[in-house]
Amino acid sequence: MTFRQARWEEPSIWDLAPPRTVETPPAVPGVPERLRRKEAVRWPELSELEVVRHYTRLSQMNFGIDTSSYPLGSCTMKYNPKVSEMLARRKGAAEMHPYQPEATAQGALEIFWRLERILTKVTGMPEVSLQAAAGAHGEYAALLMVAAYFRDRGESETRTEVLLPDTAHGTNPASAAMAGYSTREILSKGGCVDLAALRAAVSSKTACFMLTNPNTAGLFESEILEIADTVHGAGAMLYYDGANLNAILGITNPGRMGFDVAHLNLHKTFATPHGGGGPGAGVLASGERLAPYLPIPRIVKSGRKFRLDYDRPKSIGKIKTGYGNFGLDLRAYAFAITHGEDGLKHVARRSVLNSNYVASRLGKFLPRPFRPLVKHEFVLSGAPLKERGVRTLDLAKRLLDEGVHAPTVYFPSLVEESLMVELPETESKRELDQYIAAFERAISDTPENLHAAPRSLAVRRVDEVRAAREPLLSWKDLRGAGKAETP
Amino acid sequence: MSRWIPDEPGEEAALLEALGISSVDELFSDVPKKARIGRMGVGPGHKEIEVVREIDRLLERNRPLSRFASFLGGRIAPRYMPAAVDAMLSRSEFYTAYTPYQAEASQGMLRALFEFQSLWVELTGLDVANASLYDGATAAGEALLFCRRIHEGRRFLVPASLPWEEKSVLRNYASGPKLTVEEIPYDARTGRLDLGFVRAAVQSHDVFGVLADVPNGFGHLDEGILDLKSTIGDVPLVVSADPLALSVLDPPGNYGADVVVGEGQGFGIAPSFGGPLLGLFACRREHLRSAPGRIVGATLDADGHRAYALTLVTREQHIRRSRATSNICTNESLMALAFVVYASLVGPRGLAQLQTSLAEKARTLASALGGIEGLQAPRFDAPYLGEFTIEVGRGTAGAFLDRLRRRRILGGHRLADPRPGSPAEPERILVAATDSVGEKEIQKYARAAQAAVDAAGRNP
Repeated sequence: MTFRQARWEEPSIWDLAPPRTVETPPAVPGVPERLRRKEAVRWPELSELEVVRHYTRLSQMNFGIDTSSYPLGSCTMKYNPKVSEMLARRKGAAEMHPYQPEATAQGALEIFWRLERILTKVTGMPEVSLQAAAGAHGEYAALLMVAAYFRDRGESETRTEVLLPDTAHGTNPASAAMAGYSTREILSKGGCVDLAALRAAVSSKTACFMLTNPNTAGLFESEILEIADTVHGAGAMLYYDGANLNAILGITNPGRMGFDVAHLNLHKTFATPHGGGGPGAGVLASGERLAPYLPIPRIVKSGRKFRLDYDRPKSIGKIKTGYGNFGLDLRAYAFAITHGEDGLKHVARRSVLNSNYVASRLGKFLPRPFRPLVKHEFVLSGAPLKERGVRTLDLAKRLLDEGVHAPTVYFPSLVEESLMVELPETESKRELDQYIAAFERAISDTPENLHAAPRSLAVRRVDEVRAAREPLLSWKDLRGAGKAETP
Repeated sequence: MSRWIPDEPGEEAALLEALGISSVDELFSDVPKKARIGRMGVGPGHKEIEVVREIDRLLERNRPLSRFASFLGGRIAPRYMPAAVDAMLSRSEFYTAYTPYQAEASQGMLRALFEFQSLWVELTGLDVANASLYDGATAAGEALLFCRRIHEGRRFLVPASLPWEEKSVLRNYASGPKLTVEEIPYDARTGRLDLGFVRAAVQSHDVFGVLADVPNGFGHLDEGILDLKSTIGDVPLVVSADPLALSVLDPPGNYGADVVVGEGQGFGIAPSFGGPLLGLFACRREHLRSAPGRIVGATLDADGHRAYALTLVTREQHIRRSRATSNICTNESLMALAFVVYASLVGPRGLAQLQTSLAEKARTLASALGGIEGLQAPRFDAPYLGEFTIEVGRGTAGAFLDRLRRRRILGGHRLADPRPGSPAEPERILVAATDSVGEKEIQKYARAAQAAVDAAGRNP
């Protein structure tokens, strides 16, 4: 496909109308003189059209799912339904304050409640809270719950360690560390948890084992029941990272697999838009033992009324302002009730079908380091490219020139020069075939062209090393370095 | 029951044939039988028209703010959102994008985030800002951990007047590394921080950070904040600030703040019953490598043209794993876009005018409520901008607000911790002047407040 991204020579917003004079803002009633701002905020005064044109032009220099297939592994970049966008903007959804009296927010509370009921069924876990703002936030809250549970059992001094596979998302060890745990990585074998290594590692010091299933190599951990027995046998908790739930909807679930606590990412599996990096919406799902520790408030139904329940003495308390990210939970609810039971299962089946189809085709170009049967995503190794003096990064950049987004690159790190590809259920066979053709063109291109990519975007290859070596992080920095057109 | 999953006749069969299998079931042979489930029990799917009807029916049971005279505020500040903000948020190149890991394909979002960082730097007077955190409360939590990275100690001081939710969030952030959050008492008449307490506490050499908020949890301004840094010396100072207030107040960087956090929802983000929100974070350059979250930097492309990229990523979880400065991955990028679009549409003069007009309304409201016996309005003798605290002398704050609600007034929110077993607190309500209320609504509030206090007097 021929593709050229818009390439506007658009100035930064401060260069559109450089603030000329340093004004003193007028006095504000009640503000003591000492607290007053002495100089007006330095920001341009623009017309509405200028602002709209500026950000519209910026948007034209950005890939989204609506413009391009977006096969980022572990990110589940599926279509974000327009109907959800429309519904989230209704007055009854957008113009609601989290501190409104419950009697005036019965619809919102019911949507939370209904989505939680659906998610208990999807996860096979009895209790769900929507308070987490994102996946990592859910991980962190879940580990605080684990810590509180062991504190209540008098085991907090002994259970000080969280185990995780070497393929774990970086958020897992980071969340564990924030929750006060030391972390230890379990080596994998063939892309999956090495059960013998896990058995050797678990002990009375283990608080929790964190696992993604399917894992970040795109493989289903077939020994999951043995893993659960091993972890439970040591008196530890098993944590489910739900980033990859898309592949198993309606097939299996964390409850059945033996997990004690889980987080889900509604911005992956339940199609809420990722907003260029956020917002997300996290879900905390819990088994019986950890449920009393879920954040307050909980949504409860009494008779026909819904209310926020703060009477949970063992709760870890609050993890953010308000309850969940309602705007996104509403979108996720629309997604769930549109699909229903059969639709959700079809989501998993089609995403796995797409993934295996593309994997089998791309496996002709690059080696697949693990077993061929994959779930929602798969990993390739770009190592052979090195014979031609080409790296995975070059291939990723060259793919951008085809008008498709690059895969996740250099993760998981146990595969040399790895690429991780996920094309979810919303991509048609036509789109998959176009992607495969684009991949073939890209990988067959000359080393010179691969090194020179991208050529069709708003900018050429971006110097990230320079960005880190000489950090210029704001307009103030550009002014200081004499690199802004305006003083 | 949608066309979200392609279903062209023969399509699935073609995929299966290419794989040389006869059924999708074969692709799940790696899931052990004992781990399989039967039906989930989720219920049937629905057509789009049915989904819209059902959700609209549920939303009908909500009564949005526009149905009331609303004086609800605090960290979540409902405000008119110019239509152009949502038009920009609705550009699907922005909202359907993922994190801009591939800089070349994501210059639009990277540039918008760089502008957002620049704006928060201008508002706070600090050196560097990140590209957003979840919300104001979690930004304060990250600031707590940040302070611990740059200073020794076990104790973190926060105002006793801080909203209970934020205290709870902070205690969670403190719990992992086994740090303590201690409350700074306030003066009963003015609500001002007890600087003597702070001075004594830092002499223990065990305090690693002090947080103060502007306005404070009672909605008031405390000039003492200007003397806080000289009181605590090299102990890091965190200021949690309302961005609109910073359009007229001295930037906290000018009076020694080492970190400025805040809740950005009031800038172009619908309250949406509590989320998505926007966490703001800025710090001094010398502490940059201890900062949490993504940061966008300016650089050059291969042709020497200006370009932007995520930078200093070695602080982050996907590189540094358990030694990262934070676990945050997904942030609030789209909300950061809303923030900078809103501020650019309104402009610096417009922001100051908006804050001035809210402050004037709050004064009108205070004088209308001031004469009511049985109500202390404002409760504290201290300066304020657009909100202040009232204290109900007869009956409970809950009953007071209920009586107002029956007259279609959302009279503010109770400040007390709602958890059963919490220490008894005075019957206080935070009242905010919003841009949706005028003289008429203010007088209506005053009449309803009088009636509520009278009723409580008759029927306590």
